[in-house]
Amino acid sequence: MGRVDLTIEICGMSGDGTIAAGGLLNLAVSKAGFSVLAFDSYPAEIRGFGRCVTRSRFSDQELKALTDSTDVLISLDDEQSLSRVPFLSAGAVVLFDSNPPTPVEEAKSLAARLSPGMAVLGVPFRDLATRASGSPRGRNLTALGALAVILGLPEEHFEEVITAKFRPKGEKVLEANLKSFRAGCDHARRELAGRIREPLRPPARGEGPERVMLSGNLAIAQGALDAGLRSYYGYPITPATPIMEYLAKKLPEKGGRVVQMEDEISSIGAVLGSFFAGSRAMTATSGPGFALMTELITHGVMSETPAVIIDAQRGGPATGLPTKTEQSDLTAAVFGGPGDSPRIVIAPTDVTECYRYTVKSFQLAEKYQTPVIVLSDFYLDNRVENVVMPRATEEETADGNLYPDPAEAGRYRRFRLTETGISPRAIPGTEGFLFAATGLEHNERGIPNYDPDNHQKMSSKRLAKIQSALADLEEPVETGGGGEYDLGAVGWGSTWGSVQEAVDRAREEGLKVGALKVTSLYPLHADLVRSFMDRCAEVLIPELNLEGQLATLIGHLFCGDLHRLNRVTGVPIAPAVILDKIREILGKGQR
Amino acid sequence: MAEKHLVVIGNGPAGREAAAFLREADPDSRITIISREHRGHYQPRLLPRLIAGQMEAEELVRPGFDFYEERGIRLRLGQEVAGLDPERKVVVLGHREIIPFSGLIIAVGGRPRIPEPLLVFKDLMLTLKTMGQALVWQERLAEVEEVLIVGGDLTSLALVKALLALGKRIFFVFCQEAFWPLRCTPELLEGAAARLRARGVEVLEGRLRSLIQKPEGRLEAVLDRTRIQVGLVGAFFGLVPDVGFLARSGLQIERGILVDQHLNTGFEGVYAAGDCAQVFHPDLRDYWVSIGVDNASRLGRIAAANLMGGAERALVKPESIFSDQGVKANTSWWMEF
Amino acid sequence: MKTPGKVLADKVKRIKDSKLFSVRSEALPTWCPGCGYFGIHYGINNAIQGLGLDHHRVVVVSGIGCAGRYPFFSNTYGLHTVHGRALPVATGVKLANPELTVFAVGGDGDGLGIGGGHIPHTARRDININYVLFDNSIYGLTKGQPSPSSPVGFKTKASPAGTTDQPLNATLMALAYRAGFVARLFAGDPEGIAAALKEGIRHQGFSFFHVYTSCVTFDKQFKTWENLKKRVRPLPGDYDPGDYKKAMDLVLSDDDSMGIIYRRS
Repeated sequence: MGRVDLTIEICGMSGDGTIAAGGLLNLAVSKAGFSVLAFDSYPAEIRGFGRCVTRSRFSDQELKALTDSTDVLISLDDEQSLSRVPFLSAGAVVLFDSNPPTPVEEAKSLAARLSPGMAVLGVPFRDLATRASGSPRGRNLTALGALAVILGLPEEHFEEVITAKFRPKGEKVLEANLKSFRAGCDHARRELAGRIREPLRPPARGEGPERVMLSGNLAIAQGALDAGLRSYYGYPITPATPIMEYLAKKLPEKGGRVVQMEDEISSIGAVLGSFFAGSRAMTATSGPGFALMTELITHGVMSETPAVIIDAQRGGPATGLPTKTEQSDLTAAVFGGPGDSPRIVIAPTDVTECYRYTVKSFQLAEKYQTPVIVLSDFYLDNRVENVVMPRATEEETADGNLYPDPAEAGRYRRFRLTETGISPRAIPGTEGFLFAATGLEHNERGIPNYDPDNHQKMSSKRLAKIQSALADLEEPVETGGGGEYDLGAVGWGSTWGSVQEAVDRAREEGLKVGALKVTSLYPLHADLVRSFMDRCAEVLIPELNLEGQLATLIGHLFCGDLHRLNRVTGVPIAPAVILDKIREILGKGQR
Repeated sequence: MAEKHLVVIGNGPAGREAAAFLREADPDSRITIISREHRGHYQPRLLPRLIAGQMEAEELVRPGFDFYEERGIRLRLGQEVAGLDPERKVVVLGHREIIPFSGLIIAVGGRPRIPEPLLVFKDLMLTLKTMGQALVWQERLAEVEEVLIVGGDLTSLALVKALLALGKRIFFVFCQEAFWPLRCTPELLEGAAARLRARGVEVLEGRLRSLIQKPEGRLEAVLDRTRIQVGLVGAFFGLVPDVGFLARSGLQIERGILVDQHLNTGFEGVYAAGDCAQVFHPDLRDYWVSIGVDNASRLGRIAAANLMGGAERALVKPESIFSDQGVKANTSWWMEF
Repeated sequence: MKTPGKVLADKVKRIKDSKLFSVRSEALPTWCPGCGYFGIHYGINNAIQGLGLDHHRVVVVSGIGCAGRYPFFSNTYGLHTVHGRALPVATGVKLANPELTVFAVGGDGDGLGIGGGHIPHTARRDININYVLFDNSIYGLTKGQPSPSSPVGFKTKASPAGTTDQPLNATLMALAYRAGFVARLFAGDPEGIAAALKEGIRHQGFSFFHVYTSCVTFDKQFKTWENLKKRVRPLPGDYDPGDYKKAMDLVLSDDDSMGIIYRRS
């Protein structure tokens, strides 16, 4: 049985219904039982013209990465689609409008650039839609209809999702859209009979829980909600803004609030104030905003005040590339800010982990009385996967605070040195436990104190406290069967999906390769990472940053010289690129 | 100065030979072959072997795409030319793309011909020129036992071999116009019929008058004095130049594209070669139609050479030209049956 | 006659004796003897006790500067944050638990310089906190640089030729930002501060207290106790703080009247 693994792109100009069509495709394919991972690109400008590209990969296996090669391209605007040609695979199928409103010069023609191995299928989208529904608006659905028939995807799933989407807009609109869709199907059956493939068979999933299309951003927002978030303080910044907007709708329903602050500094300030007063709060930002927050983050470290910060990384430095993905805030997240300021930094690798790690972060922040930074990235935030909707357990959302023993009243020492480094924390409103938290170095009672001995002790206390969080943080996960490897690849964040797929394929080719997923970046399970790398003859760390930030953090744990695969192209690293590198290192040559 | 763009319409032997020659003569210009076929080139004469299951589709496609890549020839498959303006020097594709050219060679070949009296039954009959059609034959043959072949051109004779190999029952009706533009002599037909009967083919007398659709997809063929019921009817009346798209181009079209002995259409930089052309013979003061792969290749090369500034003449020995019904033809293809 | 220094020293003693520092007796104030902050401190504490507020339900959030040390000298919960950020942190505290009475305190550098961007938004949001701005028109903790409210011609080590920038008027700014309760007060009148604070604490919404005070150590030329005492006077008895336009007109021309300048009804 052949494996199903197809990457489909729809490319058009804003207004062509590209994104809508992509969304419907994802839903229909998900209903059919396939695994879906999709990542769209939007125009950079707010108004007017820009290229929209939807990119969906679906498979009968669980997917965690996007490929760098497209198997099917639907062009709703040939001029825009020209830019997608370099990514087409040798045997790609290209659907385009065979009767455009005006003639096209060869120099601007999409068909002129396609290789002979590709299937160049002209379908009169506009004409078919107009004839079927009276208007060319539904031509994006006509294209989907033709696609469905050609790929052998069940049409009823498309009709289901089209109905769900358009029925709320009225029966007339729904009929027009269904007719447009069916016109595409009929045309393909009639005219493209010789080009229709064998129907694709989804995996036998049986009766399982329903899957939903979930993006990283929504997963983060919902995770926070489910964890009992009360207040969100934030400032609009790409790509974190959707988190704020989702919470703005949902938080008030739960009696919470979203306050758009005047900047990122006030945002993190309010989050700290909120946790100080015993209430869960969160802020989400990107690199430039995160940079502004660093001083207050170190205040949270010094004053041992909890906070939850989502840093949705994007291209940097400075304003960088707001709509491109990157993983270049790691060292800033771990070390950023004045002084030794150890805090917790965790990084999810897929949409489900975005949810779970956000849920966890509140309890971690409270228990370890520290800012917790959750590192996501543009790709992870905006990509959708069809997942079983995760749900937080009571255990995961329970209050993590360690409250003082009432017997201590009147003699309370907020920063008492303890075994674990965690000092019970009184919440304002509690009688007999007055104290002031400060960003100055202080003694056990919280009074500013600069004695050499004190600073040493207090710094060590805070460090030990954070180190002890290892017990509550996800350990690195190894894949590859254990034992010795000729090469071990280590990945974090959204790049992990590509690393895992590359390693799986390398193993299928008979290479002795393993992989390690690291999600707790600080504190780091150094021993576990070291023990993995000790079993590897070579180590490769692919990441979306210039010099290798994870490599910088863990390189010293490896006896040899590790290999870095660094890209700052603003797009995810494809599994094939990592696989090529693995083969190159092992002397096996390119694919 | 704008880059020269040399365009060849058709990826058959004439077109490919022309493009290869152009590339050798001109290493720098852009050269594009446009073909209506979705697949790479294959020899139609091998299609019966595909139908017989003796070959796979992939084996038929020769040469591979490397042939074009090595020569820097852009091959555009699955795209149809809808129009030509030889004065403005543009070709228009079916999807409204306008392609300017510096030089053009039309090598579109022929399409299966169906004689006028039978045109009304066109949809009930299968022809065989393309791989797409061959695959249809393959699919349909899996469900039928009896086949009627009408016509009798060389392709049909090759197909009969395949059908016999598949164990089908074959009825055959020879038509004198089958080997258009040649009219076969009765003696020729008798000889062929005898050979077919020797192989177990039932050769029927008379002409096919009509076809009637019967339940379960069967067809009833009405001849002069007999009726038979079969599962499939194939029409094999030779090829006619596939030049409908040139109707309003200004090119002189008779049955095919009329060209001079240098294969030029009368428009500067526009040539035609192969099955789609009717070539002027100075000695005969008449036009002859080319049939056959070797002829096509030769003409393709000559057209290319002349487009490049040469002055070769596409001549065949007058005596090798068959003449009938006012049409002359030379064929380089004959098969032993 | 007692010297100003002696008067204030007595006040310091009284404050110490009142056991307001019972929780943190080891912490000695870092404010210099004679600093106006003692007066403000007296006023704030009187207001808290006058209203009968539970100390454990009061939170004082401060920025950086001499005023930043305030929480350590306050028998309440405290949060000494970073420079200029007391207001947003106080916002977070108050919204998390509206039962708490929340103060934000800081100096003119902290509030009008680095923190200046937060005042308008906290006022716009009308967060129910009490912001006391200790305005001595100087950066005292860092030893005497000019501040955003220093007058033109102010000579310091950082401005030997005298400052050239126009000073900011914090009361005027608060009014321009549409704060719902604006008071201008004098550290030499702690009772006046206490009275205004009681009103402001009761006011449901953002309350702003602009307090003139003296840095005895580093300002010998502008806001000395002498100069201040000469300048300040109470608002006229018939002054109506409910009229926004009148309040604006007053503050545009009058830098010296003290009291509740504006209160939105």
